[in-house]
Amino acid sequence: MHKIADVEIQHDIMVANSKLADKNQKILDDADVFSVDVLGAIGSGKTSLIETLIQKMDHKIGVIAGDVISKYDAGRFEKYDIPVVGLNTGKECHLDAHLVKHAFGDLPLDSIDLLFVENVGNLICPVDFDLGSHIRMVVISVSEGDDTVEKHPLIFKNADLVVINKVDIADAVGADQDKMVADVKILNPEVKVIKSSLKTGQGIDEIISSIESFMKQ
Amino acid sequence: MHELSMADAMVKTVLDVAEKNDATEILEVTIEIGKLTMLNPEQLKFLLDVLVEDTLLKGAEINIVEVPVKINCNECEYTGAANMDDSDHYLAIVECPECGQRNVEITEGRECNVKNIKIEKEEGDEDA
Repeated sequence: MHKIADVEIQHDIMVANSKLADKNQKILDDADVFSVDVLGAIGSGKTSLIETLIQKMDHKIGVIAGDVISKYDAGRFEKYDIPVVGLNTGKECHLDAHLVKHAFGDLPLDSIDLLFVENVGNLICPVDFDLGSHIRMVVISVSEGDDTVEKHPLIFKNADLVVINKVDIADAVGADQDKMVADVKILNPEVKVIKSSLKTGQGIDEIISSIESFMKQ
Repeated sequence: MHELSMADAMVKTVLDVAEKNDATEILEVTIEIGKLTMLNPEQLKFLLDVLVEDTLLKGAEINIVEVPVKINCNECEYTGAANMDDSDHYLAIVECPECGQRNVEITEGRECNVKNIKIEKEEGDEDA
């Protein structure tokens, strides 16, 4: 004889990831490491911005370089003789807390005080997955089009710091950079939005002071 | 965009629970997906249908229930449904339907929850 049974599961994959992210943050806190998620569009300048910050910031910096194939970005960071871990996501479009936890094992957390976690270039999927970092910095550039913010509201809603990069070429690509700032402010009125150019140096000092003020909080 | 890995995780969760409960057949699965997750329910359903081939889940009815968005307003203390009318996620996450302010927090709508399953098992088996 057979019988029918209802089995309650209530296993939320998002909650499971968030719990792992909380554990990650505890690991970072125990090691006195401040961690910054760097999210943004493909080609917006995430890697270049981190390279600039490595050179300009007076901190012991480490990087987790996440990408579909991470060796290219990881190789760029290794030039600066800092701890770097490449995380290949393969077919996956985002990092998750479990992957980042594994990367911690390959990082000398005790000799780092500032960690950048560069996510896969993607404004959609990373939104759902907390990694355990202390702040989320979202980097976009004018060349993606000045409707980028409107089209991807959630990533900006959850950002702690937003960088609009490559503003030196805004006119050339026909993008209204002030509209992009205003669009972010509609979604997230309190967030700091910095217009930057890694070519001219515009906004870099402001990005550094913003990150440092978060570190002091 | 990450429906495949999520579907895979769901299938594993369901099969694991079914096995622990000595299921001989899985009749029904209910999955809750928040309207603000970056998951497309139709794509998810398609991938689940593919992934269940050759598993105990084959033939099971898969119910995907969309969870509406709820918000808390930090200005007027409104708690409840977000205004999703004629919006593509935009109004819901920025504007309180009560006071119109934008200082709101999302409290529901980001779930990806394997809620429950209905299984068939041998009579006399003890519940796990």
